[in-house]
Formats: sequence, C-alpha cells, structure tokens
Amino acid sequence: MTLVAAGLGKRFGQTIAASNISITLRTGRVHAVVGENGAGKSTVLRMLGGAVRPDSGEMTLDGAPYVPQSTFDATQKGVALVHQEITINRSLSVAENIFIGDLRLHAGPLGVLKRKQMAVAAQASLDRIGVKISVTAKIERLNLGELKCIEIARAISSDPNTLLLDESTAYLDHREVDAVLHVIRELKSTGMAIGFVSHHLSEVLAAADDLTILKDGQFVGSYGAASVKQNEIHRLMVGRDVLHGIYPPRSPSLASAAAPALSVKKAAVGRELNEISLEVRHGEILGLAGLKGAGAEALFAGIVGDQPLRHGHLQLEGKDYHPSNPRAAWRHGIAHLPGDRGNEGLIVLQSVLDNLVMARPPAVGPFFSMARARAMSDHLIKLIGIRTESGAASCQSLSGGNMQKVVVGKCLAVDPSLLLMNNPTRGVDVGAREEIYRIMRQKASEGLAILLSSEDMPELIGMADRLAVLRRGVVVHEFDSLENVKEHDIVQYMI
Amino acid sequence: MSEAMKADSHGGTVPAGQGGLKGLPIDQLRRGFPAIFLVILVIVFTIMSPRFLSLDNLSTVLEQGTVLLVAALGGTFVIMSASIDISVGSILAVSALVAALTADTLGALAIIPAVAVGAMCGCFNGLLLAVGKVPSFVATLGTMVVYRGVVLYFTRGAPVDIKNDQFLDAYSSISFGIPHTVMIGLALAVMAWAIFKFTVFGREVLAIGGGERVSILTGIAVTRVKILMFTLLGALCGMAGLLQGARTLAATSQLGLGLELDVIASVVVGGTPLTGGLGSITNTFLGVLIITLLQNGMNMAGVDPYLQNIIKGLVLITAVFINIDRKKIGIIK
Repeated sequence: MTLVAAGLGKRFGQTIAASNISITLRTGRVHAVVGENGAGKSTVLRMLGGAVRPDSGEMTLDGAPYVPQSTFDATQKGVALVHQEITINRSLSVAENIFIGDLRLHAGPLGVLKRKQMAVAAQASLDRIGVKISVTAKIERLNLGELKCIEIARAISSDPNTLLLDESTAYLDHREVDAVLHVIRELKSTGMAIGFVSHHLSEVLAAADDLTILKDGQFVGSYGAASVKQNEIHRLMVGRDVLHGIYPPRSPSLASAAAPALSVKKAAVGRELNEISLEVRHGEILGLAGLKGAGAEALFAGIVGDQPLRHGHLQLEGKDYHPSNPRAAWRHGIAHLPGDRGNEGLIVLQSVLDNLVMARPPAVGPFFSMARARAMSDHLIKLIGIRTESGAASCQSLSGGNMQKVVVGKCLAVDPSLLLMNNPTRGVDVGAREEIYRIMRQKASEGLAILLSSEDMPELIGMADRLAVLRRGVVVHEFDSLENVKEHDIVQYMI
Repeated sequence: MSEAMKADSHGGTVPAGQGGLKGLPIDQLRRGFPAIFLVILVIVFTIMSPRFLSLDNLSTVLEQGTVLLVAALGGTFVIMSASIDISVGSILAVSALVAALTADTLGALAIIPAVAVGAMCGCFNGLLLAVGKVPSFVATLGTMVVYRGVVLYFTRGAPVDIKNDQFLDAYSSISFGIPHTVMIGLALAVMAWAIFKFTVFGREVLAIGGGERVSILTGIAVTRVKILMFTLLGALCGMAGLLQGARTLAATSQLGLGLELDVIASVVVGGTPLTGGLGSITNTFLGVLIITLLQNGMNMAGVDPYLQNIIKGLVLITAVFINIDRKKIGIIK
C-alpha cells in the first residue's frame, strides 16, 4: 500500500497554507511531517485524509487516482484520519465512541443496538492497538492519552491501510505520549502506513522512519529519519540562522530596576491554578511556560476578572487591585489578548476600525466620534503594519496574521500599562509574527509590562526577559535570563 | 496543534474571503433583497388592485404601519445583538391599558405612565436574561404570557374605553394633513436611527451581536447594554401601545396579539439577520413597509383572510432562509 501525493497546494483566503508539497507513505513505515507552527503540517495531513480538498496537486493510492471527497470517503478507500482535537463524546460509552460513525453495523432491524456484540468488537479494536483499556471503563475516568487511543481504535475499526495522526500528542503529558507512540509502533508492525504530525522533535525521532520537513507552507525535503541529525532537522525547519532569527534584540535590561506593574500574591483561580506568586515589572516581558491546563489561562482569567480569585490577592502599580470583571481590568490599564482569536479576540464580521476602537471607543458624552476613531485606527494600522485596504474593510478579508495584528492593535489602543498575551502568534504566519514581536519589544522598551503565555518554546526563549514555568497550577521554576536556555531546559520542568 | 487552529480559524473566513470574488453577486442580492422585494410587492398589488397605489391608500398604509414601526425600532436593537423579544405584543397591551386608565386624569400626559410601564416590562425582561442568564427566547416567552395575563386580570377581558379629548387630540388627530401617529412614528425612527448610528451604545449592541464573548473580554458592559436595550424596546412598545389605544379608542386584552411575528418579520425581512452583528434602522424601516404593504395589499386584492397568515409566515421563513448566518445558528440567544 503506497499513498503518493505530488505538488499539493492549499490556500485559505489570503494565506498560502501549503504549496507544492510531495509526500509518500509506505506500508509498515511511520512518516512524520515536521515543521514550526504554521508550517502547514496539519493542512497536508488533512488533505491526505480528505478533510481539506487541495487546490492543486495529485494523489494516488497504489497507483490509482485518489481524490477523497470527505473524511468518510477517504475512510472507505482505506485512509483513516485521527483529528488533532479530542472528539470523544463523554456521554457515550467507550464502545459507542469507537463505533459512532457506524452504529448501524451493530443495530438490529429496529435500530436497537446490540451492545454485547458491539462491546466485543470494540474490545478487539482496543486489543489490536495494544492498549489496556476495557470497553466497560467509564469515559470520565480516562486520561487524555487513553481518549486519544480510543480515537485511534475508532480510526482502525474501519480496517484502514493508512492511518493519519494529526498532532495526536499535542495535549498529552509524557507518559500519555509514550502510550500513543507505543500504539503507533504496534500498528506499524502490522503493516500499516502511518502519517504523523508533530512539532515535538524528540517524539518524531523516537517513532519515525521517514521525515518530511515543511517551512512556511513550503516543501523543504523528505529524508530517512536515521540519516539526519536533530539539529540539522531543526535548522531545516527554521530555515534561517537561529541567532539572527525573527526575534528582535532585547533592549538593555532596565527592567530589573523598574517598579512592578503587577504583583500576584498566592493567587488561586478555578481548579487549574493553585497558588501562584509572580511579579511583572514595567518594561519587561515575563514569559509563562506550561502545558495546557498548567494554569496560565486561569491566571489570566483571574487577572482580568473573568473568573474570581479563590484566594490570594493582586497588586497593580503597588496598590491592591480586585478585578471584578474584564471591564474593570481594562479600566485599570490591563489589556488582554485571549488565546482563541475567533471566539474571544476578534469580531470577524465587523470592520478593522470597529475592532480596533472597541475597547475604548472615542466619544463625546454618549456620542461616538467617528473622526477620532478614524485617526486612531489609521495610526494603529500604520504602527502595527496591518495589511488592509482601509480601516473600513471587514476583518473577514484579512489573513490570519493580520487578524491577530488587529487584536494586538485593539489592546494597544487603550495605551495599557500591562498587557496579557495568550499565544499571540498561534496560527500566524512568519511575516506577521515578526511584526508582532517587533511591536511587543518596542512597547516593552517604552515601559509596557507584558505577560506572555505561549506553547511555542522558541517564542518564549526569543521574546521573554524572564520566564516562569508552571505545572499543575504552581510555579515550578523561574529563569531570570533566557540567554543560553534551550528548549529542553524548560520542557523538563513542564512535564 | 496551532496549525489546526489556523486551519479552523481560516475555515471560518474561507467562504467570506471567496465572497469577495465569487460570492459577490449573492452578497449584493442579499443586501438588495428588501428593496427588490418591496418593488415586486408594489407591482404585483398594483396589478391586482388599481387602487393600491392611490395616495389615499398609501397614507392608510403609513398609519397602519406606525404601531409596528415603533415596536420594530426597538426590536432591531435586540435582534442586532443576537437576542430576541417575543413579549412585545403583551407589553403593548399593558401600556395601552395604562394609557386608557390614566388618560381621563392625565390627558395627553398619559404618555408618561404608559411609556414608563413599558420600559419597566422591558427592563424586567433584560434583567431576566442579562442577570438571570435565562435565554431571551424563553424569558420573553414567559413574560409574554405574564404581561398578557396582567391585562386580562385587571380588565377581566372587558375593553377599557378612551374618551379623553385632550388625549385623542394629541395622539389620533391630523395636522397639516398628516396623522399625529405618523409624525410620532417617524420622529422616533429618526431618534432610533441616530442612537444606532451616532452613539457608543449603538456600537456596543452591534459588538455584542457580532461576538458576545469577545465583547465581555474587551470590557464592554454587556449586562448593562442588554438591560438598556430591552428597556428601550419596552419603552418603544409602551409608545406603540399608546398609539394603538388612541387608534382603537380603547384598550383591550387582545391588542398587539401576534405583534411579535410582525416585529421579527419586519426586522428580518429588512435584512437584519437573527444571528445578530449586522443591520440598521433603515433596513427595519423597509421591512416595516414590506410587512405593512403585504398586509394592506392582500386586503385590497381581496386575498382570503384565512390565507393571509400563511403567506406572512412563509415570507418570514423565506427572509430568514436568505439572511441567516448558518455558521452562527447555534448561538441565537
């Protein structure tokens, strides 16, 4: 079984997600697709799996043309895709989750489910991938790695020849990752062709036979995993001298002498954040590293008053500060760039101007001042380099990177003294990243305090002046300088 | 994982991005829909009934449409914010009753209690959904019955006549050939248009409709704006009740029955989608004209009265079918 793709290309609006990409998946081999955030890895896998239709290029399956119309169609042709997001329905049983796409197979003539028969088949799927999960297990007792394994069992229940795993390890801790890697090896030994996306290099090297490296949607090359070294892969992924990369030089550290903008004292928020003490000073970027759920999001929610503090307290500019809601936070000079741009950061329906002036619309009494809003928006568009025809253009017409610049602009429009940024460059192309980094550094040198939470390690190393590593809701380590700090130095504290 | 995020967030923009090129005619068609529909209606009814286009009839249309216009102005704000209010007809009935009960003593000043009670009813709706977090459809479904029940309870189903001359002079006579109701309706329309166009409140309503979570996180006082907007709608329904009472010379428990359908239809037929985030008062003005002309034209053309509701309902569904943003369909609150 050989799946060959040649010259695949895909565009989303203004953004070229993938261009001219070729990849070959072979029986009994694990083929990893690697690249930085936004390199186009998921897009490629989704094209192979029928979730995204390519704009150009050709695919063949054992020499026959392969044009999947949907993931269902791809499955029928023997290519199964496991999505990146966990898609387990928690109100169904393990067996029902595995057969959710084909429940009729296990139903009697009146549509009544034959549960016993289904449980046996489900258990067989689970056993086949070699995981010790019982079909009678309660879904809520399972961890994310086990849920991922159930999804893999679901994918192979259709008996595919090719399995595509999209960043299956993104949310998992290292033990869970090991379990998934184990499953991958098990399936490989049965002769399945496996395509695998990850941006964690160590995983890739642990599991892959072949590698395809992508950079900014472009095809860099395909290699045998044994023939390239890790730092070589890294160089190819980044594609530029890492030292003179996209991160602007740090300004000489004035920050250590500056006054703290925000002090967090033994704060606890929700279930995620247990007890955390931090200080971010004017003029510095404090990085927050941690796995998803380690507490950074909860901390932000606490600081902006979106969730109440369970205990502990906050001080803003040396004065006690009790955030009651996001409105109060903005009034106190705290701007917040949420992690989910589409649902929390930007009103896509509205114009660039509408979004830019949203946090503090210029007004005379109750009346909105369009003239001042125009001046404000023109200024911000120029300052941040937002590529748009004009402020009146709808955000729908922008690329992802420029949408994110609009959210950055919305934050800067209120002239904040503290800026919270949650994964500010997620899904943002390299050009827009550079501009976001530039403006962050510029504003920091003007005295803005920035809290930067990110899942992108190079970004934290490149941008943060200091770094706090969170795990299970507490700070487990602080780096006072990020000179000479390597990715794995940070990661070892995260897991 | 970030790539999937990217793909997803782009996924949302793809159709729109293409809309700039391929989808343009459809977009324009949508925008032009109310005007086109209005022209078609006028042509059809003129053919069916020559008297339809007479000055006499058109001024009747304006007069008939005023009550609906006043209520629909408030409805526009609520629908633009992606909420809905189906208690409008009941608020109208309450206010008409208050106007009828106070007209004898207060004369034209009965407008004050009538509008105030309407505003209170609206404010209560707003509190229910903004503070109590009851979805607006359910909240106003409940208060629709409650408010109507209040009217029935006090009137025991009997009409309350309005006989005060000062009141009737102010709200149901004619100056310079124009009925006072029409003048009031148009003045309120201009006011609503200005509120929407020139105030921060108007922008906040649109922002909430475009993305409630975004609005909350950006520091918009969403709770306050929602209460304010439902109060505004209540006050306008109060005014509509007063005008309706003045037209019918009495307040009855049946006033405003089915008004919610006409209000929603006017707003939506005018081009404001139920999913919120878009729309304007001028759109609603067109929508009110369409709904009123449709009603009036069907009467003029002698369409079976028992058929008329079927046609009105179909027009509403057609408008929603054309206008609604299906990606957002799950979040009509």
